[in-house]
Amino acid sequence: MVFVLLGVTLIVFYLGRGLLPPESALAPYITPRMNDGTKLQLARSLGVATISCPSWSALASHESVCLVPIWGQYLSWLGNVLAGNWGYSLLPGLSGTQTTWYVFWLRFPYTAELAVAGTILTALVAIPLGIISATRNNRLPDHISRFISLGGYSVPAFWFGLILQLLFVLYIRVGGNALLPSNGVLDTSCALCLSSPGQVTGYTGTPILDALLSLNPAYFWDSLVALALPTLTLAITSIGALTRILRSSMMEVLKQDYILLARSKGLKERVVIYRHALKNAVLPSITITGLLFALLLGGVVIVEVVFSWPGVGAASVVASTVVDVNFLELYVLVTAFIIVLTNLLVDIIYAKLDPRIRY
Amino acid sequence: MAVMSRALVTKDAVLEVKDLRVDFHTYAGDVKALNGVELTVKRGEILGLVGESGCGKSVTALSIVGLLPQNAEVVSGEILLEGRDLLRLTKEEMRLARLGEIAIVFQDPATYLNPVINIGAQITEILTSDRRRFQVELVSAGLKDFEGRVQGKPLSPALEKEGRRLRSITPSSRMRRGEVKRLAKLLALSYLRMVKLPDAARVFKMYPFELSGGMRQRAIIAMALARRPKLLLADEITTALDVTVQAQILRLLKELKEKIDASVVLITHDLAVVAELCDRAAVMYAGNIVEVAEVKELFANPLHPYTKGLLEAIPRPDSRSELKSIAGSVPDLLFPPTGCRFHPRCPFAFDRCPKVAPPLVEVSPGHLVACLLYGG
Amino acid sequence: MTRESSSSAPSKEERKSSHGFRREVRYGIHLLRKNPIVLLGSIVALGSIVLSLSSGLVVDQNSWKTTHIALRLCWNNPIVNWNLRNVYDCAGPTTYTLGTDNYGRDVFRMIILAIPLDLRISLEIVLSAVLIGTVFGGIAAYAGGTLDELILRLTDIFLAIPSLLLAIVLATILGRTLENLTLSVLITWWPTYVRLMRSQVLTEKEKPYVEALRAVGAGRFRILFRHIVPNSIYPILVQGTLDIGSVILTFSALTFIGFSPSPLIPELGNLVNQGIEFVFTAPWLIIFPGLTIFIVSLGFNLLGDGIRDIFDPRLRR
Repeated sequence: MVFVLLGVTLIVFYLGRGLLPPESALAPYITPRMNDGTKLQLARSLGVATISCPSWSALASHESVCLVPIWGQYLSWLGNVLAGNWGYSLLPGLSGTQTTWYVFWLRFPYTAELAVAGTILTALVAIPLGIISATRNNRLPDHISRFISLGGYSVPAFWFGLILQLLFVLYIRVGGNALLPSNGVLDTSCALCLSSPGQVTGYTGTPILDALLSLNPAYFWDSLVALALPTLTLAITSIGALTRILRSSMMEVLKQDYILLARSKGLKERVVIYRHALKNAVLPSITITGLLFALLLGGVVIVEVVFSWPGVGAASVVASTVVDVNFLELYVLVTAFIIVLTNLLVDIIYAKLDPRIRY
Repeated sequence: MAVMSRALVTKDAVLEVKDLRVDFHTYAGDVKALNGVELTVKRGEILGLVGESGCGKSVTALSIVGLLPQNAEVVSGEILLEGRDLLRLTKEEMRLARLGEIAIVFQDPATYLNPVINIGAQITEILTSDRRRFQVELVSAGLKDFEGRVQGKPLSPALEKEGRRLRSITPSSRMRRGEVKRLAKLLALSYLRMVKLPDAARVFKMYPFELSGGMRQRAIIAMALARRPKLLLADEITTALDVTVQAQILRLLKELKEKIDASVVLITHDLAVVAELCDRAAVMYAGNIVEVAEVKELFANPLHPYTKGLLEAIPRPDSRSELKSIAGSVPDLLFPPTGCRFHPRCPFAFDRCPKVAPPLVEVSPGHLVACLLYGG
Repeated sequence: MTRESSSSAPSKEERKSSHGFRREVRYGIHLLRKNPIVLLGSIVALGSIVLSLSSGLVVDQNSWKTTHIALRLCWNNPIVNWNLRNVYDCAGPTTYTLGTDNYGRDVFRMIILAIPLDLRISLEIVLSAVLIGTVFGGIAAYAGGTLDELILRLTDIFLAIPSLLLAIVLATILGRTLENLTLSVLITWWPTYVRLMRSQVLTEKEKPYVEALRAVGAGRFRILFRHIVPNSIYPILVQGTLDIGSVILTFSALTFIGFSPSPLIPELGNLVNQGIEFVFTAPWLIIFPGLTIFIVSLGFNLLGDGIRDIFDPRLRR
């Protein structure tokens, strides 16, 4: 686990420092008021320039006396990274006054909210769909669920999101307003929205959690309504994937001998499926749900762009156009950390459910 | 043929299978797995069902418990359990029959137990599944346990209350869920002891992967016992076990049969097992019962050429003659031979054999054979 | 032997000869009959390949290059009425089946040009990933030990980064050209195949015939690549077919969020991206290119599903 995280830092470090010139690595740390002397000092303290480097212009023209070999830069970079020293954000509109660290964590709760909502929706839809599909194998419910899952698996999420917007903004209208909001986190002009949700205290930065903690039901409802279309868009692909996996593992389990024995014991079909089969069939799906969360943390980028969601995903696209590599690197490291942690959690749950695994 | 099968009806029959035909639909065509099976199981007997693998023994057993795979179809026939045709039951009635009347034990104990549910729960779920079905047994297990605990000791008020409660339960009275659960555990433990599992309380909590093959098979037998079946189908129950364990399991089966007063169909390909345990034996070949007789009679006086071949293929320590085998191989049931299905391999085949399917006829009291050499 | 039984002999011979290839075909037909959707998918997938090979005959390959900026988006297909306030009906002899885009180009032609481009890129990525997976996964499993551990950990690291995110970072750093975008997606895609191939080879190498080959002194590479790999490649090929659709999705997602090297390139994701601005005034700009991605991807997924069923021994009875 630690090994994987170290590996990710190595890759991230190499992408940023190995493939880009040193000035661009320094760009986030430089403020407009710095003169060449302070810039050189900064470069030295960040481990980008050598002590013997004579001047800033020598570094800028990549003179070999100034350049620290790439492997020499890694440790000082890692130190900075772990200390949260990521420099100033290059995102437009912030004009170098807010740190990348701050900007990232301001936006991250929105992304996390979307990804968690997507995972929950996926599980809620995919598990019943997978079971129905497996138990009514090759009959109408199976064909319908197969169609939904294969369709969901094949549909481009960005297109699906845009079509939803089109439908709900242009064609499905209630009293002159769109039925559901399709833009941003809080929109008070839709038919289902409450017009005056009031304010909440920003405990976590996540609208839904903040609304709960501030005991503001109106705000909670509006946040939930605002989540509807983005969550559906985010979940549609993974619903397809999880349904297919659950269907095939369920069908595999239903063919097992112990299911035959359970039936021969005269147990009700309900008991056979939910007690005997499902317990075995969900085991692989738990691993998949872990992977799914990872998938959603990445897939969130598209949804945030389509729905103008103020999370890190949409920001990373902007960061890419202004080559704010630090923002992207921070995003990669945080998600990698979450994914590794999720995998660990999945292993623990797995061991709890499967008596054959004991540590 | 119908006339013949009526002649077979015996009053003390638990199970009668009449003209059972089962097809398997596959992409290559229909496999005619059972071709008019005729079988009678008498009350309290152990009937051996013998034949090579693929001859339809297991399919017969699965048809009886109503658990044929989805691509199988019962084309015709009757399966009468004490006169009631199992093939005409609804799904729910069939389930209840499996719960309380017919039990089956399968071949490989390694794969037939659910790996993620412990042994105890796999037994108690039977006892708690239908509200009143096992109430009498549950209460008597509770009483037995209660008497064991109070033996000779003065009763505390709590114990006295418990005893009164247990005695007051009638087969129709309602029980709380927790009470059912507690009694089910006691009853399950008694069954685990009945199949001679050492340290039943510990086994109760164990998962299948923690048990040996023989212990697993005992646990599965306990699950069969728990249903108090009238008919127990044992489908090659010892094939996957070690030789020493095999003997123990078979002895156990015979003992238990006496205890719970059930009839047993012992499905096997091992003639030695039949000789050792069974009262009567039925020989199967390619989806047909070809010969039925008391075990002694069958071994002393085999009539069907296939039975003769089978007996000659057994190695005997006292005989010096070369071991014989039956020429040819088991037919492809996608395109079974016409007439008597054994005729391509039969050394005594004559011109009518490929044309006429021989019915099962009684040639001497209790000895039935399906072969044109003996009339029909 | 009697007359009757000997007459059944020829049919037996016939059955024997029908084993092998004809049997496979019969099984395939049986599966298709059971599941007509797979047939539909196969037709779509094969159709898109045929279209790709012949698109030069249908549409002028250079018609996407334009300097002309049309100020009006046209829709003069009389079959669909969008129920929009401003639909510009461009007068003229040509009917634009799927309207025109903001550069005045025929959307239908752009889609016809875009399908081969997306399909080619997707095939490049999948084939490279299959190749990398086969070689590295095979070597890892066959060699075992430190090398195996190393390759496995490397895939672990790559799998801990969401693929779209990694592709974004790579595209940012490498620069936005079609080649770099292809490379970016490939880098996120190969680890799955290494894993898959590795697990296949691990089970295959325990089989007796490998032991036998070793006993007769066959070389290690010969055993691995001439014997083990061909025997364990089917699941990888199935996965590859399924992934053609997924790669098109990922690649078009990248260009959709703005990684296209030029706004003019007829690539499906880019076409949708160009239409976002006009989503409420000219919905055809996003609907049809997106629908094309959906259909092509669905086709390959269905095809892959069908192929998997054919090769899955567990489904056979």
